[in-house]
Amino acid sequence: MREGYKKQLEALHTGIIRMGALCEDAIECAAKGLIGESRPYREKALKLKSGIEASKHEIEEICIRLLLREQPVASDLRQITSAQMIVTDMERIGDQAANIAKISSYMVGSSVKSDIHIEDMSRATLKMLSDSVDAFVAGDLAKARSVIVYDDVVDDLFARIRSGLIAIVSNDSAKGEACFNLLMISKYLERIGDHSANIAEWVVYSITGKRKRFQDDLRSGG
Amino acid sequence: MKKRILFFSCLLAGISIVLTAILIHFVVYRNLSESQRVEVGKDAAYIAAAVELSGEAYLKSLEPLPRELRITLIRPDGSVIFDSEADAARMENHRDRPEIKAALESGVGQGAHFSRTLSKQTFYHAMRLSDGSVLRVASATDSVFLSFLRLIFITLAIVASVFAVAATIGTRVTRLIVEPINRLNLDAPEENAVYDELAPLLSRMKKQNDTIAEQMREIRRKQIEFSAITDNMREGLLVLDRDARVLSCNASATALLRARVNDPIHRNALEWSRSEPFYRAVTSALDGASSEALAESEGKYIQIMANPVVDAGSVQGVVVVLLDVTERENREILRREFTANVSHELKTPLTAISGYAEIISNGVAKIEDVPVFAEKICGEAQRLISLIGDIVMLSKLDEDDGSHPREAIDLKELVEDVAARLAESASKKSVTIALSEEESAENAEITKIRGVRRILDEVVMNILDNAIKYNVEGGSVTVFLENTASHALLSVTDTGIGIPADEQERIFERFYRVDKSRCSAVEGTGLGLSIVKHGVKLHGGEIEVKSTVGAGTTITLKLPR
Repeated sequence: MREGYKKQLEALHTGIIRMGALCEDAIECAAKGLIGESRPYREKALKLKSGIEASKHEIEEICIRLLLREQPVASDLRQITSAQMIVTDMERIGDQAANIAKISSYMVGSSVKSDIHIEDMSRATLKMLSDSVDAFVAGDLAKARSVIVYDDVVDDLFARIRSGLIAIVSNDSAKGEACFNLLMISKYLERIGDHSANIAEWVVYSITGKRKRFQDDLRSGG
Repeated sequence: MKKRILFFSCLLAGISIVLTAILIHFVVYRNLSESQRVEVGKDAAYIAAAVELSGEAYLKSLEPLPRELRITLIRPDGSVIFDSEADAARMENHRDRPEIKAALESGVGQGAHFSRTLSKQTFYHAMRLSDGSVLRVASATDSVFLSFLRLIFITLAIVASVFAVAATIGTRVTRLIVEPINRLNLDAPEENAVYDELAPLLSRMKKQNDTIAEQMREIRRKQIEFSAITDNMREGLLVLDRDARVLSCNASATALLRARVNDPIHRNALEWSRSEPFYRAVTSALDGASSEALAESEGKYIQIMANPVVDAGSVQGVVVVLLDVTERENREILRREFTANVSHELKTPLTAISGYAEIISNGVAKIEDVPVFAEKICGEAQRLISLIGDIVMLSKLDEDDGSHPREAIDLKELVEDVAARLAESASKKSVTIALSEEESAENAEITKIRGVRRILDEVVMNILDNAIKYNVEGGSVTVFLENTASHALLSVTDTGIGIPADEQERIFERFYRVDKSRCSAVEGTGLGLSIVKHGVKLHGGEIEVKSTVGAGTTITLKLPR
């Protein structure tokens, strides 16, 4: 019975890595769809969304089964509960990536996007997600904490993009629509950053059993 | 072992003490009772003599009686006259007692009585007195058990002390025996000469040691061999078990997959790389189907080949081979670009030719315009021919199989020859061509290099042609030749438009033209410098480009002799 339990825990672990990989793909596709104006990538980002949702259901089922049948304690319990939270965040990331892909289709040919740091931002959010998944994979506490701190970089980028867009609109009101869309996209990216930071927080929790307060300390300290 | 030795030595000591004690006790007891029996006899004789002398009164005067003596006087009919312990009148008739009976018959009777309740052994001695009555003396003593019981505490004390002694000595002895065994050098069992009894064991041990060492050497050798092969492979090798956990990997695999974990063994393959093609290849191999995939990350192309390891009909694991195919992929991309460019370049003049020809054949063109169109058709056809010529040239250069005949070529002659052929186009643009030479040659032979005439001709032709084409009106082209013992230098300097620094790398690419807007103005296939590059490469030479925009360009060829 314990053997089966271990196998299930492992399946949970790999399931989350797999879901993380899908999310990374989704963000990458969304970014390529926006910046490279590639229609196949945009479509792929939309398709990945359903794959991510299916993954989420699968993982949730494993979690519930484990909780009911094995009644885990201590670190196993933490691992399972944090897995449940992580997949929720990942699912949201998939949604945001799909939203970006949808909006991107209205952005083809617009020159505004090259004037702002949207590419930097997409790269930064992708890095955050990759790092948080890496932290999960390796159980790397330091990396998870670095992701939480890195969220400020993404927030900062969002603020800069926002003011950049305001400047563009006030100079040329014809670009209003594009600017609006880009604001949405950058907000979505910023949300992806937040979700990635959440994932990192859950990784920290599953390793240490400590929650939130750590992050507040870190924020106020740094 | 120590415990066993100790246990047995104590057991032995204990048993021997107990047995000895019992044995001694019995022997002593026997002697004791014998002597007591004799004593009773003696006592009875004395008392009998005394009674004979002074009658019953003597008996009464004896009280208290010494030791545990009991004296009884019995009439010949068996009734008791006197007893030293009980009231004689109440005592029963004693005639049937065996010792009394014997005394009555033969004068002396002996007997023993064992009283269970008192644990006493009583010896009787009866004598018939001269008056016919019988005197019986009884002496009681502890029975064998009681006396033994009395001794038991002493025995136990002795056993305990002997145990203590045995234990101490046992421990010592055990240590003495065991110590050399503990100190055995098991790495070299034969060298130990502790006990003869251990010799067979030790020699067996040595044999096994040798076998193990031999096997270990073999295993290590195989392992070194295996890791030497895998670690020096450029290809990545990854062996996974059926749960996709990594069993073995080589350095290339770690590098190619950019493994994200420090300790990769026994990790799930997904923890290595989350790339989609890798995942697909591994899962399909786990399902029993060999699969190939191409993964691209950060400008690198990795070909992934995953093969299932099938044993007894089920998949036991996966062997993954990873290849860095970046170069191949890049070449493939170049080739695709080249093909697209070629098709485009071929199509353009053909479209023009077909257009002009259509106009003429439709009769739309005025008769006086026909020569104009014919000239244009001719021009486009020429362009097509030179383009195809260039492509053929390039493809020949691509396959350098040593089939090009080499001969001694005088570079100066060659340059003069080419310059003569270009004189017309130069004069059209009023560009002057000058040839100068470093006068270091000691004899004429040294100006000659070994090369392929046709190709060198094409190389010089293209460079000079470019120098004229991209020159300004009234500019000049200077060709400078220098000969050294090891190589020849040929540099062509023009006063043309120049090449921007960031494009100087790319001018040798096929169909690459610096100024796209100029393309239509200046004729050319975009393949010229590509031919130069490959031609020089074929001769093992080098090209150097120095250029300033607006001032001119110097292209220097360094050709080995």
